[in-house]
Amino acid sequence: MPMTKTFTQNDLIRYLYDETSLEEAREIQLAILCNGSLQEEYNNLNATKLMLDELLETGTSSSLQSSRSKV
Amino acid sequence: MITNTLNDGQLVALYLNGNEGGFEVLIERHQARIFTSIHLIVKDRYIAEDLRQETFIKALNTINAGRYNDEGKFQPWIMRIAHNLAIDHFRKNKRFPCIVMEDGSNIFNTLEFSEAPYETIQEQKDTKNKLLAFIQELPEVQREVLVMRHYMEMSFQDIAESTGVSINTALGRMRYALINLRKKMIKNKNAYDQNIYPK
Repeated sequence: MPMTKTFTQNDLIRYLYDETSLEEAREIQLAILCNGSLQEEYNNLNATKLMLDELLETGTSSSLQSSRSKV
Repeated sequence: MITNTLNDGQLVALYLNGNEGGFEVLIERHQARIFTSIHLIVKDRYIAEDLRQETFIKALNTINAGRYNDEGKFQPWIMRIAHNLAIDHFRKNKRFPCIVMEDGSNIFNTLEFSEAPYETIQEQKDTKNKLLAFIQELPEVQREVLVMRHYMEMSFQDIAESTGVSINTALGRMRYALINLRKKMIKNKNAYDQNIYPK
């Protein structure tokens, strides 16, 4: 059975937002695979994060046209 | 034609060398994040559009004056300009409240014209409006970290420094913001389902 390190919930947030080193990311991925509750928490956090992307919008194009005309 | 493969620093350099298309690509690349971040602070889409425009103009003026020197970190720099403009506006206008709808939008922002089917637009709009309202309901410290990290793409370290807390506090606030939003969305969905399919 692979040895997995223990991670805090804050580590999971850093992983969610790509703020871990490659090595840390690999270890967290392994921990997520091996730990059901960690996996559930990660899935929930990730689903909410994806939902937030739906709010990304551009507004109307007229003000952008105006910004471009200043270039 | 300028391809999207150039990084921000290269695009600024291109613009400084006389190719205006360089800045147009920067506008295209960053406008959605800038608009959404400002919108979540000022809570009015038309003001957010004006402030986004002001952000780009301010950035252009700084670059044109030869005062841009951010060592290739264009995005955090322009997001800071946007954030400062939004906060300034928010503070100035706190004394003159406008009519805000239940979902947090200005009453005059509800008129919209589109060719897509009404139901689809309405459903998407309802979900977005609910999410916007739930973000506004978050405790201020959680909302602040969420906007800074998710929409302004500041690192947790930068957020910790600019809000005067430890990185663990910033991470914890982000975590609670996400958890609280999820709870609110689930609660809202359950309430919606019970209205449509009463037991």
